[in-house]
Amino acid sequence: MEHEGMVHALEEIHRLLKPAGTLIEIHPSLEGPPLVEVWSNGGRSFSEEDPGFDYAGDLRQAEAAVASVVERGMFLLEDRRRFELRTHAESVEELRDHWEVAGAYDPEEMEETLVLRRDEMYARAHAAMEGAARPSEVVYVEPATMSRLTPSG
Amino acid sequence: MTARTDPEGNETEALFALVDFNGAEVLEIGCGDGRLTWRYAERAAHVTAIEPFGGSIARAKERLRERHFPVEFRYANLEDFAADTDADLFDIALLSWSLC
Repeated sequence: MEHEGMVHALEEIHRLLKPAGTLIEIHPSLEGPPLVEVWSNGGRSFSEEDPGFDYAGDLRQAEAAVASVVERGMFLLEDRRRFELRTHAESVEELRDHWEVAGAYDPEEMEETLVLRRDEMYARAHAAMEGAARPSEVVYVEPATMSRLTPSG
Repeated sequence: MTARTDPEGNETEALFALVDFNGAEVLEIGCGDGRLTWRYAERAAHVTAIEPFGGSIARAKERLRERHFPVEFRYANLEDFAADTDADLFDIALLSWSLC
């Protein structure tokens, strides 16, 4: 979605909300790319950034869209929280199947070099799991931001 | 086994710290497979959860099939839904990983 589309979406939500309503907006954080980690026995044996993180521009546009409706007096930004969304899988294959079913990180929408770098990273994660004590798990760690906004105009 | 998202409850903890769902009329935009919906729906008076991808809606319905939560899943994007919906209906709008 482009910036104008995001602002329009926020305008529509403003109309649908009661005057005393609340908008909760959640999106991946710009603080850093997602990490792929391998854990076993409480210890982390692998951690690499996801090379498929190619949507920082979209995140900036989303933050700009929220800032835009706040500046216009449409919403008041009341609070903001940071958290980590962690997705756990028993194998790299299971994690990748999860993303495929969810329709996330579609390789056809990603540059070929990023797809290759991502495949290589997952191969290293798989190797780390093979060498780790059992049971082990692979964890996808996404920093995220959650904002509470209230209609103000 | 299938992958598990947020078994730690980090997202839910942040959500409940920011908003009270008790008795609320909720609109969730881009509910996906209902990953977040089931975490709060029991508290709400009613949830309208919209999602433009049919496959995700089917998984969301399956996920909540045996939970008797007040959730209505709608196969729609925000623009189409808003065009057919009156103003000032919802106490909470939840835009989860959907703005970008």
